[in-house]
Amino acid sequence: MPLILHGLTPIHWAAAGAVIAFVTLTLLLLANRRLGVSSGLEDICSVVLDTAYFRRGAITSGRVWRFPFMAGLLLGGFLSAVLGGGWSPTWALGMWDQAVGLGHGAVLAWMFAGGVLTGFGTRLANGCTSGHGIFGNSNFEWPSLLASASFMAAGIVTTQLLYRVILR
Amino acid sequence: MTLLYLVLGTLFGFALSRSGAADYDYIQGMFLFERFQLYGILATGVLLTAPGLWLIKRRARTLSGTPIEIELKPMNRGTIAGSLLFGVGWSLTGMCPGPILVNIGEGKVYALAALAGAVAGAALFGSLYERLQPLFGLPPLTKPAKAA
Repeated sequence: MPLILHGLTPIHWAAAGAVIAFVTLTLLLLANRRLGVSSGLEDICSVVLDTAYFRRGAITSGRVWRFPFMAGLLLGGFLSAVLGGGWSPTWALGMWDQAVGLGHGAVLAWMFAGGVLTGFGTRLANGCTSGHGIFGNSNFEWPSLLASASFMAAGIVTTQLLYRVILR
Repeated sequence: MTLLYLVLGTLFGFALSRSGAADYDYIQGMFLFERFQLYGILATGVLLTAPGLWLIKRRARTLSGTPIEIELKPMNRGTIAGSLLFGVGWSLTGMCPGPILVNIGEGKVYALAALAGAVAGAALFGSLYERLQPLFGLPPLTKPAKAA
């Protein structure tokens, strides 16, 4: 199945997994950093929110590496688009466009709502797919195993409900 | 070091972009059990990271000689509750936090709304922390959880 991005053929899953492992291990071996992206959401908040929570040490010491890393995530997506057929703004959303087909305003509201759940949820759980899913599980941490089982289960139930029940 | 983080982030973002990990259809395909791709990516990532981590922890030092310090995540009632909320959000948007940024980089306009929501969600969490702390048994603010 092609990617939404320019209909490109995806790279092999083993190759992507290898890159993820390489980045995770290099971060630790070279820079003593634990991979984790959702903490970066708090780093962004800390730029404008001046409360005790957003001024704690974990943020002030962590954003030194997470800001450039997040800039890299943006750049990686940008380069992927440029090299894969050119960069241009797009609203393409694959299955959603075929099954739902609501206007741009509805998509933005939907994405914002989903984003709120992701932002609040990952901070409550202290991690997301990277910090819990990749690093925590690789380090045999119990909270990460529980977290991963929980977010996978919730994702499975939600998508199945949406595409197999509601939109049938 | 900043350049190292930027390069690693770029590599990570490119791999997420080109593998389907930042693709709405592949995420739904994973949750529908119709696509193996994402399970393969996560499994390979963990299977290769685990022995590497073990070796680095045995070595106990970074390449430049600093003692390795891995901050462990706390276990509390927020671990499962928060992850359940996140799972719903991941399904709705088709993006977990890293891929939100990757999608913005690719030019997916709607990903900006997902980022705005995610930052708002994190801001909400941080603002309510003192009230959520006893409710979920979260660590107190003054003593950040840290372990070797």
